[in-house]
Amino acid sequence: MEITNIMLSGVGGQGILTSGRIIALAAMDAGLDVKMSEVHGMSQRGGNVDTHVRIGEEVPSSLIPVGGAHFLVSFEKLEALRYLNYLRPDGTAFVARHEIPPLTQNLKKNAGYVVDIDAKLEAKAPKLVWVDAFELAKELGDPRMVNVILLGALSNAIKGLSAKNWEAAIRQRFKKKAQEACLEAFRRGSAYGRAA
Amino acid sequence: MKKLMLGNEAVAQGAWEAGVAFGSGYPGTPSTEILEHLASHEEVVVQWAPNEKVGLEVSIGAMLAGERALCTMKHVGLNVAADPFFSAAYTGVNGGLVVVSADDPAMHSSQDEQDNRYFAKAAKVLMVEPADPDEACWMAREAFSLSEQFDSPVLMRMTTRVSHQTGVVNVGGKQAVSGKGFKKNIAKYVLLPSHARERRHDVEQRLQAARAFGNQSGLWNPIYEGKSRIGVVTSGVAFGYVRETMPDASILKIGLTWPLPIERIKSFAATVDELFVVEELEPFIEEALLAAGLEVKGSALRPYTGELNLTVVEKMLLGAPKHVATVDLSDAPLPPRPPTLCPGCGHRAMFDLFREMRLRVMGDIGCYTLGALKPLAAMDACLCMGASVGMAEGLQRFGGPKEKGKTVGVIGDSTFFHSGIPGLLDMLANRSDATLVILDNSVTAMTGGQPNPGTGKDIRGNDAPQLDTAMVCKGLGVKRVRVVDPYKLDEVRKAIEEELAAPEVSVIIAKAPCILQYRVTRGRPAEVKTDICNRCGACIRVGCMAIHEHDGYPEVDPEMCNGCGVCEQVCEEKAITIPKA
Repeated sequence: MEITNIMLSGVGGQGILTSGRIIALAAMDAGLDVKMSEVHGMSQRGGNVDTHVRIGEEVPSSLIPVGGAHFLVSFEKLEALRYLNYLRPDGTAFVARHEIPPLTQNLKKNAGYVVDIDAKLEAKAPKLVWVDAFELAKELGDPRMVNVILLGALSNAIKGLSAKNWEAAIRQRFKKKAQEACLEAFRRGSAYGRAA
Repeated sequence: MKKLMLGNEAVAQGAWEAGVAFGSGYPGTPSTEILEHLASHEEVVVQWAPNEKVGLEVSIGAMLAGERALCTMKHVGLNVAADPFFSAAYTGVNGGLVVVSADDPAMHSSQDEQDNRYFAKAAKVLMVEPADPDEACWMAREAFSLSEQFDSPVLMRMTTRVSHQTGVVNVGGKQAVSGKGFKKNIAKYVLLPSHARERRHDVEQRLQAARAFGNQSGLWNPIYEGKSRIGVVTSGVAFGYVRETMPDASILKIGLTWPLPIERIKSFAATVDELFVVEELEPFIEEALLAAGLEVKGSALRPYTGELNLTVVEKMLLGAPKHVATVDLSDAPLPPRPPTLCPGCGHRAMFDLFREMRLRVMGDIGCYTLGALKPLAAMDACLCMGASVGMAEGLQRFGGPKEKGKTVGVIGDSTFFHSGIPGLLDMLANRSDATLVILDNSVTAMTGGQPNPGTGKDIRGNDAPQLDTAMVCKGLGVKRVRVVDPYKLDEVRKAIEEELAAPEVSVIIAKAPCILQYRVTRGRPAEVKTDICNRCGACIRVGCMAIHEHDGYPEVDPEMCNGCGVCEQVCEEKAITIPKA
């Protein structure tokens, strides 16, 4: 089995590390090797962050090369666009419909957010799955559910990880009283992946 | 048992398995999590030191008492701890002593890219380099045995991509080690010149013995025999990239990197037709191989700066990368998203004032270094921990009439305790009239909220003695010490003006708890009246994530806004208000 590369991107504080950990735990539950590289420190203060997750029979190194990711999971549109070049030609991007404007530098000259970002993402990504993760999380009553919703969307696409592996990972990562809600959010999220 | 672990957590696990009694260090990315994880073992004494030098000295004391001790720091921390480090190489050890240096190739969170493997060579101590979390665990454990076997401190060199890599780790139980107790031995432990000259020979013999050990050790320096006639010598995180790029190559993976097992490398080289060295940062191993007369390819095939990755190593070994980007982003220039001060952070108001008052700011290391970035852009120099104080004194003295009365040193509380205090003593003893601003948020914030001597908590969150920054300054002899609220711009401006004019050393302490670490909400979200707003941009120039441009006017994100009121105070049109609770 070759190595499956999953790139996660977003803005510091969005729960990207937690998502990476859940994928890693699911892979371990499936008896696979896993390596993950993450960002701490200065990069977390509202800057863009990424987490590399690599799973397979044997994973020697932890960084995904540009052009090497099977999947990109993005918590924010601009940070999806920024990391699109990590995708392989047959890769899929799972993108939360969510915008966080970067720091405005000048009120009069500022270009604001990237113009026509939806169209740009759709044109450039080899395959793209929009996920209404923030709306759905709000509907489920907890904005922190965004990460499990996105993982749900991703889960159909990753071969080698079963529903049982994902459930075990979510149960390990969350406190008992949050588990059922997280699993429900994960299941709701998985509807998006299936449509792809 | 297998466990998913961060590299730094694995170091703590390995040290715990080795029966470590004591852990110390100073927070610094990418090393911080090691001690935090070690602190989860209640029976181990774990404490943050005010700086790396002190942390290592306390660790040496524990080692002299016969206990196993661990001391952790980031790469530049070892510069601070270099004095005891070099001397401890001469005393050798009683209990095992492992010093972890977490280097930061590519400078993700650092001011320089130094390769601390040279420290091991210069200090003449043993050095080990793990490639991943699993190795970080067993190498940390075994490093204590090496330390005791060869009577040397062991430097464990981590890098960002090992420290902050998560992987599957084989964990074990705790070894039973009993403290040996202190043994008086002045010829070994009192480094008088006459003793040191004797110890110098012991140091050399120990290195020879360790080199002989490394030449034989298949555990530390394993050989992976491959089908091809290409051989690669590699160490640390580079191993994974090599293994993945050239699965058929023969690899000599060096884990005990100093003293370098040169005989083992020579015999390995004799078995292959073409020899590469793949290592991150400096050509540390390569230089030794060239000096030994080996024909080897390496650093000329890669950039001299930055970290390795598959793309770089593929180019090195295969001539071209196997992976290339097919998505073209060149037609869509993306706005950068650099790190910024948190919405509500007390530092923001200070830097907005520094810019407004056109001050010359000698900065320091911490969250507030972000005050150098646009749009605040209110810092003129930042060097290393504690340097703001000395730099401010020097610039104030030699800057001429242009800089006179305009220069401030700006330092955080943790950095002040770390190494700012001696600079303040210098100001006092040498009749400076400089002004120091201490941004006191009562925590070491940038690395994730570790306690410092001013926090009043220990590493486990228990109550601890709390030093008062103002008392410390007064105790040193500063006559002009003022404590201000950084959120009150007019008050702070007046204080700065007065203290800059004062003909003696002044300290202004801007005291407010870190809103992130202490979970402070300063007020209700700001509201913008676009009918009054004249679009001057003053509020945008405070550089807050919670306020951005929308249709040419400022807009506040109520979810993000902390209600600190800085934008309200800089708005001359009174178009921004914080609603009263």
